[in-house]
Amino acid sequence: MGFALVWGIMNVINLAHGALIMLGAYVTFWLFKIGGIDPFLSIPISMLALFVLGWLIQRLLINYVVRAPILITFLLTFGLELIIVDLALNFFSADNRSVQTFYAGQHWELGGGDIIIPQVHLYTLLVALALTAVMQLFLAKTRTGNAIRATSMDLDAARLVGINIRQIYALTFAIGAAAAGAAGSLISLNYSINPGAGEFYTPIAFVVCVLGGLGSISGALVGGLAFGVIQSLSQAFIGPAYQNAIAFGLLVVVLLLKPSGILGKASS
Amino acid sequence: MGKLPARARRAALGVLLLALLAVPFATSGYILRLLTLLFTFAVMAEAWNLIGGFAGYVDFGSVVFFGLGGYTTGLLMTKLKLPFVAGWLAGAALCTVFAILMGLLLLRLRGHYFGIATLGTSFAVREIIANWPSVTGGGTGISLPIYDFPNSVFYFIMLGLLIAIVGLTWWLSRNRLGFGLVAIRENEQAAEVLGVNALRYKVTAYALSGFFIGMTGGAYAYWITFIDPTTIFDVGITVEVIIMAVLGGAGSVAGPLIGAAILTVISEILNAYVPNAHLTVLGAIIVLVVLLIPNGVIEYLTFKRKLSLKSIGATLAQTRV
Repeated sequence: MGFALVWGIMNVINLAHGALIMLGAYVTFWLFKIGGIDPFLSIPISMLALFVLGWLIQRLLINYVVRAPILITFLLTFGLELIIVDLALNFFSADNRSVQTFYAGQHWELGGGDIIIPQVHLYTLLVALALTAVMQLFLAKTRTGNAIRATSMDLDAARLVGINIRQIYALTFAIGAAAAGAAGSLISLNYSINPGAGEFYTPIAFVVCVLGGLGSISGALVGGLAFGVIQSLSQAFIGPAYQNAIAFGLLVVVLLLKPSGILGKASS
Repeated sequence: MGKLPARARRAALGVLLLALLAVPFATSGYILRLLTLLFTFAVMAEAWNLIGGFAGYVDFGSVVFFGLGGYTTGLLMTKLKLPFVAGWLAGAALCTVFAILMGLLLLRLRGHYFGIATLGTSFAVREIIANWPSVTGGGTGISLPIYDFPNSVFYFIMLGLLIAIVGLTWWLSRNRLGFGLVAIRENEQAAEVLGVNALRYKVTAYALSGFFIGMTGGAYAYWITFIDPTTIFDVGITVEVIIMAVLGGAGSVAGPLIGAAILTVISEILNAYVPNAHLTVLGAIIVLVVLLIPNGVIEYLTFKRKLSLKSIGATLAQTRV
């Protein structure tokens, strides 16, 4: 979702998104380990931490190359990814870590035990839905949200009507980073984490965004769901080995057939 | 070099070539290995430059040809017991065909979409190779036969490939195909109007790129004698190659080669002295390069631009908001 926002608004493909997710996961992990803070309660904290980091990155670095060819921003964010992951490796070590809550193993059974719903997964889904709704409302209803959308439509026109582009870009990237932080917190609940974990999530963010439609927030959610369903189905019918191959193959097919994504409007 | 007369330049080039030919007989195994690696990356950076630099279609999946070339060579040598040269040429041929097919499909996409699609393709191919153990050996990789000749053979192979691709790029830069590609980069619609068959030009450049990277991959696989999907399809290789091309100067003849030389040497020094912070420093270099010298060092080397705070500031002012 954050990836979709940054991409859609600023035309910046943030290759460091996975690294930011990883950082969010570590915030939750350390708060849980040291402070005993429940992972769900630490979501706002990791969002705030990543918000600040994202704001700084945009203000100090990316703002300088927003008008440069896509290659340049791509490389810049890749460089950032290398730095973040390598620093995390040095400070957090390469060990796999996981957050073990008392409710980690609890689940509900439906239909006489045929359907098992792990509680954590359900809560995760609810939080993701809530965050998407908040983001959607923020963009549609608030003055700042409108400014963000206006900037994505026409940078120069937005500047003419008095929008401070630098601030809006910094804010957009910061919100994107905060979303990555939230995603990281949620991921730490469900999977074990290590500094390299983010590398796995950036391509997924790619696929999800393209599936849903670039820069569309609700599209990102639809894309995410579609991605999950496709992975599970291919796992069930073709075998687990090829689930990623199919996901990436699908990405290419969607790009060729409907580059604007499932919810996207036809582009000119 | 821009200021030297043509004769002096030719003489310098000749001396350099002779020196490079003499290297294996005069230096240690370490220098030889380093230079072979440098040439490997230089060939790939030059090959990427054909499509990414000249045509402006940023390929984020170049490693797919490296891996396919390596795997074809390896599999033909181990499963069918073919000699290296046969496997190598078959790998390069496969990569060329694959590039043409991929190009015909994907080169219709513009901008990011092409980049993402190539990235997706390289992931998909890696996953297929990793999960098809009956044919490819799966995630455990394959061990190639040990060669019974000195390593310097690989040095000469990579040097030969490098000379070939630099020569090709030089020829391209003053030829209809090259002009067509640059026209496509600057304005594809205008190029079409002027009679450039854009798709054919792009596919040609992409096929050449795939051919050379495939050749490199095949030779590399035999050189290190062991390949597995994660290392030979590593997206990091793609990115490193792109950084080299950009650092040196994408769209120029010598830029990618210069970039490859700079980055390989820096990387080697960092590995030796600060192994723990190696990637941090590399990341910082990438960030600084794209911020401060996005057009590559070649501009400064050929005196097209003076190295000063003012010129760097001017570059930044163009792209910032």
